[in-house]
Amino acid sequence: MTLRDILPGEQCIIKGIYVNNLRKRIIDMGLTTGTVITVKKLAPLGDPIEIHVRGYSLTIRNSEARMIEVDKIEAKR
Amino acid sequence: MIRIALAGNPNSGKSTLFNGLTGANQSVGNWPGVTVEKKSGRIKHHDFEAEVIDLPGIYSLSTISLEEEIASKYIIDSNMDLIINIVDASNLERNLYLTYQLLDSKAPMIVALNCMDIIQKKLDNIDIQALEAELQVPVIPITANKKQGIKELLSFIATFDYKNQTRDHRYSEPIENVITDFTSILGDRFLAVRFFEDGLKAIESANLKPESVNKILEAHRCAAGKFAIDFDMVLPNDRYDRIITVCNKVLTKSSVAYVSKTEKIDSILTHKWLGLPIFGLIMLGVFFLAFGPIGTTITNWFVMGIDWVISKIGAGVDSLGMASWVSSLITNGVFGGLAAVVGFLPQLMILFFFLAILEDSGYMARAAFIMDRVLRKFGLSGKAFIPMLIGFGCSVPAMTATRTLDRDEDRKVTTMIIPFISCGAKAPIYGVFAGALFFRYSYLIVFSMYLLGIIVAILSAILFKKTILKSASANYIMELPEYRSPTAKNTFLHTWERSKGFLIKAGTVLLGAFIIIWFFSYFGFVDGTFRLLADEEIEHSILGAIGKFLLPIFQPIGFDSWKSTVAILTGFIAKESVVGTLGILYGVTGNVVDNGTLLFEPIRAAFTPAQAYAFMTFALLATPCIAALSAMRKELNSWKWFTFAVAYEMIVAYLVSLVIYQLARLELGTFLSILFAIMVLAIVFFTIRRFIVRKGVVCGSCTSCGLKDECALPKKTEFDALLETKQKDDVK
Ligand SMILES: Nc1nc2c(ncn2[C@@H]2O[C@H](COP(=O)(O)OP(=O)(O)O)[C@@H](O)[C@H]2O)c(=O)[nH]1
Ligand SMILES: [Mg+2]
Repeated sequence: MTLRDILPGEQCIIKGIYVNNLRKRIIDMGLTTGTVITVKKLAPLGDPIEIHVRGYSLTIRNSEARMIEVDKIEAKR
Repeated sequence: MIRIALAGNPNSGKSTLFNGLTGANQSVGNWPGVTVEKKSGRIKHHDFEAEVIDLPGIYSLSTISLEEEIASKYIIDSNMDLIINIVDASNLERNLYLTYQLLDSKAPMIVALNCMDIIQKKLDNIDIQALEAELQVPVIPITANKKQGIKELLSFIATFDYKNQTRDHRYSEPIENVITDFTSILGDRFLAVRFFEDGLKAIESANLKPESVNKILEAHRCAAGKFAIDFDMVLPNDRYDRIITVCNKVLTKSSVAYVSKTEKIDSILTHKWLGLPIFGLIMLGVFFLAFGPIGTTITNWFVMGIDWVISKIGAGVDSLGMASWVSSLITNGVFGGLAAVVGFLPQLMILFFFLAILEDSGYMARAAFIMDRVLRKFGLSGKAFIPMLIGFGCSVPAMTATRTLDRDEDRKVTTMIIPFISCGAKAPIYGVFAGALFFRYSYLIVFSMYLLGIIVAILSAILFKKTILKSASANYIMELPEYRSPTAKNTFLHTWERSKGFLIKAGTVLLGAFIIIWFFSYFGFVDGTFRLLADEEIEHSILGAIGKFLLPIFQPIGFDSWKSTVAILTGFIAKESVVGTLGILYGVTGNVVDNGTLLFEPIRAAFTPAQAYAFMTFALLATPCIAALSAMRKELNSWKWFTFAVAYEMIVAYLVSLVIYQLARLELGTFLSILFAIMVLAIVFFTIRRFIVRKGVVCGSCTSCGLKDECALPKKTEFDALLETKQKDDVK
């Protein structure tokens, strides 16, 4: 499953990143393997998405989100 | 004199600190990408003196845009005596990433830990000594925007023994082994680390011998197999692991939960349904305030004031009994032109004021976030929204701001469409025509001009992307900064800086232009003698001759008097002078006293609404002023592109005005038909939009790493990705 499939409010953990234009930048911004990210929201037009990672807010497009392989963290209640 | 560079993440407060250190007034704004060129200044502390350089912000030494490259090259190549790394303490984890990259270099370094006020507000705590021990460089806490800690920082720099700084940072064992291998070939540890991260791109400038290149490639191949994770993730992973350990040691989070106001504000401003309408309302609101009843009323008072002053000056000049050409120069040339332009200062100031608030609060970044989806349809990144928005103020800084865009093609496209965006200097033109001819609807007309500019800009972007700049594929990745309440000081500083720019231009370039225009329009041959002309004789002037000569070209777009032609011509010097010239040509000073709104009467007499609209359209779209042209030349960095852009803009301006004027005439020149023309444009634009082809996924990081064929990184095949894109969007 990729980051694109995670709904707003849900959390996930990064498994790997496929090759894409922004791969190196995505990694430098702190999205390394094993990092936990929270999807905060979609932009009003559905794209880009806002995620919370390493204590700050980052926005990326769906096309890049689709290149990030993740595991969903099931919310514990 | 020693040289100090300020390096840090975008939006970490570098420019604020730069201003604090040097006393300069550099632009500060709450979004990534405010500083796009390095700026240098001087600091003095007793008898210590140094040159400080404010660089564009970077997240990493591996760069993806031109401005980042400037900054990164500067840090890597230019042997600074000292680097002050500014770290935003409220965003420690991500900020320290760059710090650790910088620590790999040999440059002497100190860390200025900024935004300590936020740490205090959150009741968190950072152990400065512990951080110093971890980083092995001095750490000085500051709050740049409240000028706290600046003095301490200054006196620390003044006495700091930067030449003897030593530090020793090691990565984990397997990484160090690889670095040692690379170092033995490249001869430099920092270069080896850069090669590890960036591939061949990092050693381009090192000019290695071919056999060394082969050797290093062999070493790279060998090393890549040794790690369980992707090779390009090895170093970042290790760094972030280290950073987390450091953060756990030095940062104690308060037990009181801190609710950030950003989240609350964003729950409305970027809301799923509300976000877009609010965005539209904010933009419309700004234009309504600046060009609607309020702005117009303020302008009217202001103009009345100017009238009064000028009538006094006119009376004074007349009473002095000077040579007739002198008093003509003063009343017609200087004040006739200036008064018409300066009258619009209040409206511009309102516009600048709101732009400043949007910038300082952090809403600009949200605007890019909201607009990305739309702009991508035109092949642009949401980030292109920011330069375009600045373009509403002035094209010159807007073109400079295109450097925040990642790709050269994106920069070219954005630079070439910025002139279509209606800049502040064009506003007076609409002010005059809309005010004189469209009465109650005047602000709607003004808004429609802005809209028209945007539509033409967008259509052009699509055209460029479809034809000559195909390779462009705009990237988008952007941080959303925390909202900050704009400080009164900053807002007024911003407003004032831009208004001052306008006034200075009015006072220098424009004043010169007005005097030249005055000469060309008040001197000419009458009955075979060359002499000063009276107001009624302007027709016989030199400018009149040029205007008449060119008039046939402009007749199809509704110009029926050489005066319009001349006014447009002078607009190439500066857009403000269009109104100024009209002022001179229609002898504004003549009826200053009895008519408050200077130009309205003569304009009403000389233009039909359709003509006025075509005139405004041409002024909006035609080649920008000299200052913008030179900025465009600089950003495009090629005469070929520059010539193309200028020719393109002229042709588009002519064609669009032609269509609008001819359409408007068919419908008896009513203003409804103009709206119709805009609708036609909109339909064309939506049709073209449907035909934009999506791009597949290209191996971008690989082209830059130079190891294309041996790339071992995981790929989704291009076909897969394309298919997926299609399906996802079809579902929507
Ligand atoms: N709360 C707080 N805000 C700051 C501080 N220093 C700068 N800022 C704000 O941070 C934003 C970015 O500042 P700027 O100097 O333009 O950052 P640059 O992009 O690194 O040059 C502006 O809105 C500043 O007012 C600080 O110490 N505390
Ligand atoms: Mg800056």
